[in-house]
Amino acid sequence: MSFDYQKYQSAFGNAGVGNHQFLILFAIFLGICALMYLAVIAFLVGGLLRRRRAGEANVVETGRHHRSDPLMSTGLIAWGAVVGVGLVALAIASFFADRLDAQAAADPKLTITVTGNQWWWDVQYDASDPTKVLHTANEIHVPLGVATHIILRSNDVIHSLWVPSLAGKEDLIPGRVTDLTIVPKKAGIFRGQCAEFCGTQHAHMALVVNVDPYPEFIKWWQQQLRPATAPANPLVLAGYRYVTQRECASCHTIAGTPAGGSVGPDLTHFASRRSIAAGTMPMNEGNLYGWIADPQSIKPGTKMPTVGLEPNELHAVVAYLETLK
Amino acid sequence: MRSVTTAVLAGLAALTAGALMSSCNKRAADNSTAANAPSGAAARAVPAAAAYPADNGNWEMPSKDYASTRFSALNQITPANVGKLGIDFTFSTATTHGFEAPPLVVDGTMYLITPWPNILYALDLTKPGAPAKWVFKPNPAAASQGVACCGPVNRGAVFSNGRIIFNTLDGSTIAVDAKSGEQVWRTQLADIQKGETITMAPLVAAGKVLVGNSGGEMGVRGWVAALDEGSGKLAWKAYNVGPDKDVLIGPRFKPFYAMDRGKDLGVTSWPPNAWKTGGATVWGWISYDPQLHLIYYGTSNPGPWNPDQRPGDNKWTAGVFARDVSTGEAVWFYQSTPHDLFDYDDINESILADIPWGNGRRPVLLRPDRNGYFYVIDRRSGQVLSAAPYGYVNTSTGVDLKSGRLQYVAEKEPKPGRVVRNICPASPGMKDWNPSAFSPITGLVYIPHNNLCQDEGVMQANYISGTPYVGADVKMYAGPGGNRGLFTAWDPMRRRAVWEIKEDLPVWSPALATAGGLVFYGTLDGWFKAVDARTGKLLWRFKTGSGIIGQPISYRGPDGRQYIAVVSGVGGWAGAVVAGKLDVKDPTGALGFVNATKDLPNKTTAGGMLYVFTLPR
Amino acid sequence: MSSRFRASFILLGAAALLAAGCSREERHSRSKPVGETVAAGASPDTIFPGGGTPPALDARARLYDNNAPAIAAGQELFSQMNCVGCHAHGGGSMGPALMDNEWRYGGRIDQIASTIAEGRPNGMPSWRGKLTDTQIWELAAYVRSLSGLPSKDAVSSRAEGMSGASPGTLTPHGKVQPSDTAQQQ
Repeated sequence: MSFDYQKYQSAFGNAGVGNHQFLILFAIFLGICALMYLAVIAFLVGGLLRRRRAGEANVVETGRHHRSDPLMSTGLIAWGAVVGVGLVALAIASFFADRLDAQAAADPKLTITVTGNQWWWDVQYDASDPTKVLHTANEIHVPLGVATHIILRSNDVIHSLWVPSLAGKEDLIPGRVTDLTIVPKKAGIFRGQCAEFCGTQHAHMALVVNVDPYPEFIKWWQQQLRPATAPANPLVLAGYRYVTQRECASCHTIAGTPAGGSVGPDLTHFASRRSIAAGTMPMNEGNLYGWIADPQSIKPGTKMPTVGLEPNELHAVVAYLETLK
Repeated sequence: MRSVTTAVLAGLAALTAGALMSSCNKRAADNSTAANAPSGAAARAVPAAAAYPADNGNWEMPSKDYASTRFSALNQITPANVGKLGIDFTFSTATTHGFEAPPLVVDGTMYLITPWPNILYALDLTKPGAPAKWVFKPNPAAASQGVACCGPVNRGAVFSNGRIIFNTLDGSTIAVDAKSGEQVWRTQLADIQKGETITMAPLVAAGKVLVGNSGGEMGVRGWVAALDEGSGKLAWKAYNVGPDKDVLIGPRFKPFYAMDRGKDLGVTSWPPNAWKTGGATVWGWISYDPQLHLIYYGTSNPGPWNPDQRPGDNKWTAGVFARDVSTGEAVWFYQSTPHDLFDYDDINESILADIPWGNGRRPVLLRPDRNGYFYVIDRRSGQVLSAAPYGYVNTSTGVDLKSGRLQYVAEKEPKPGRVVRNICPASPGMKDWNPSAFSPITGLVYIPHNNLCQDEGVMQANYISGTPYVGADVKMYAGPGGNRGLFTAWDPMRRRAVWEIKEDLPVWSPALATAGGLVFYGTLDGWFKAVDARTGKLLWRFKTGSGIIGQPISYRGPDGRQYIAVVSGVGGWAGAVVAGKLDVKDPTGALGFVNATKDLPNKTTAGGMLYVFTLPR
Repeated sequence: MSSRFRASFILLGAAALLAAGCSREERHSRSKPVGETVAAGASPDTIFPGGGTPPALDARARLYDNNAPAIAAGQELFSQMNCVGCHAHGGGSMGPALMDNEWRYGGRIDQIASTIAEGRPNGMPSWRGKLTDTQIWELAAYVRSLSGLPSKDAVSSRAEGMSGASPGTLTPHGKVQPSDTAQQQ
């Protein structure tokens, strides 16, 4: 299925309750401030174009009490009142937008812990039954219409999670725990972005959020809990051997295999994700070859080193990774 | 006339029977006189009779007997004459990596098993100066030193049926003929490539040699195995994490508490696949009840130390198993420390005792645990009768006897990104592996232990087999009072300390109790001490060449006199700063112990010397 | 001096300073797509019979020794690859201390890289094939910095661990002798 996930990274996407509240508030602010702006401009233009009344001297009178123009002073007082009312209205609107957002997020049914790393997202789905705890990376699925509580941590520097279509920004601060609750209203695929400069590849740190209806979401979770597909043919087996016995296993986990590294993203269902390297490139075979062969040329400075595979090793490794659906 | 004769004859018969009975079982006679003694004696714990045979003057297994009393019935050395105790002979073991094993003495020959390279010496005690009869060198792999978390130590060999049986660091169990020193069989059990080693002393019971692996800090999967004593072939192997069929949990398994009941808990109390690197090794002590035909042992901490990576109770780590010795079937389990947060292994010794209960006696295990509590557990069912803290504990508020659960203090839980301070007891626990001694005469358990607290920060642990799987930075220091060690005489019935000796350094040596009324232990800077068993008064001490972390023993020499023997050689986790020549500038060295023993290199140096003491002739 | 002369003087001075700091800060994250190898050459600390000479320092060493990004990358790898589990933060645990001036297997950066790649008897694992050679060189640079050998301006001035003491890289160390090798046991 081809899609343009870039289209779904929009603050006007109106796909989540938080975003919805933001848009209403935005409209109110825009309306009131536009009116204010037009009024100010009108007064300014009026002031420029107003003819001087006949007989007025050019010289400013000093020493004599100057009686204010009654029309002017009433007008200014009225204008002050309008501005005051307008500000209060904006404050009330903002307050209620926040409250409605918090109410919608009041009883989260799902808790996800997202840990920011340079430059990828580590994701863990929490569950009271420890056998249902899911560990994945760079892509999350959330159920439609259900409040999802996202706990945010960081392993190294300050990051920030922003899924514009669903909610606002929230920082991931090392040594602290912050959180964010999203309540998606529309199903679909949305893109989130790291919104706090975190190093040379800050621009290539995207989180793909899939909003699924609840039954599909459960099916996805169960499928992700399964261990990695076992190798089925000699090329894939050669790739499996390389991945689990050589450099890859030092950093990556593939559940059900000896590879247990936790430095880089969990790869158990790597091929089911839509992008490689946290949104750097779409997932397809060509990109995967390029990435495995030389990640430093695609995402310079990334923590994944250029391993220097022989061509036959590269074929085998890519063949194996493609089976990890 | 006839009635008088009958009466006299009956009386004589009764007397004869009484005399016969009392001479048959010396222990029983002691008990009966004890019963007639003041009521205090009848209220005492006594060792389980079936596991506590009459003392033959030898020391044939590290725990002295299956009940793990570490008590010698020899009474020639008493508080009155111990002041004159002096050296009889010494022997250098030619190793300096940390000596935890007791010498074994069997009928005039003494056997010593060293840390890696695990050399086995046989010394002839019948000749002056105890020259070596033979030396056995198993040549274990040198690389095994790189996967041994806390020193390449060995906790002892065991004598059984004319053979000395011991484990090597690189994971094999060897049986050597005690007279000739020739190898009888050798079985490889552990794999150092996975990070497994074997440091524990095997136990021989009911024709089986029981061996467990080490490696809870290396992400291994813990197990206990039984080898056939005659051939060395594997009879059964029980894992301590994983599905029920691997853990040998079947229809006989009846844990006392609901929290330990369920199907495949060794899998379902872990996140997916985490049990495969879950620890629960058996690197400590195994006890045996010949009457119930059960072995008792504790399992190590779960892997990794970082608890955030393993939500769930993490069965069957940090708990006590009872298994049938012939088949390995699990009979009961009690988890002392569910979802362990601080490396509170449960591998400490289980002393088999019978305590007064109601009108009779109840068979129990006495266990000074790492988590700070002295447990009294019914050894038939696994029910906890009492759990009293024997030192300062702030990581938990107690054990709920109804559910069996340890009640944690929530603020002390380590979480990624923050450092938790003042965690007491520290990771070595209130007491680590070094076992206590139990005197049936005083009814007290003599506990050599620690008074340490720590700061801990956790982070994501990366699993690479053959490398550590920990995920924690630790820094230890002295607990309340400033003394890092304690030697406590604990009354298990009244659940309190009777007397206590404060020690500057953590006490890492096992204890020895004797019928003469003395208790012996060693300090980390090399003092070998004898104290009065009833009052704790220091009666004698001797400065040996290196810190003492090895089991002292007492035996009857070929000349019939009582000897006390100990090997001094600092090392293990507490002595790592000296044995490993670590740098004191880094407080997190040796998993945090370096910070607590920064002064140790000034107080002692590495060694490995046997000292044998006796009274002047 | 005239203002024009002063301006160009300042400009030249700034350029000189920039150039001096350059190589220390050069980041070599992009190694060749087909790997370079860490050679298992002879240690300079052995006997070279018949008047032989120790091998010259590996050419790649200058890219990593005294290189701040390499030491920083090595510091991260040191924790991630479980070096901390055996060597703590330089103090040692199962493995020997790395912050002192005793080097069992040599303290030159190519010797350290060789130790990491080959493994050593007595328990140091072999990382060849489990880490790329760039990573091994970066680790070697960091290990050297633990005993205060590179210049102080290339090392981190902040301790990442919880010790609270100044980092091992900045504490004063004893002078390292040319062939300071502790006795193997």
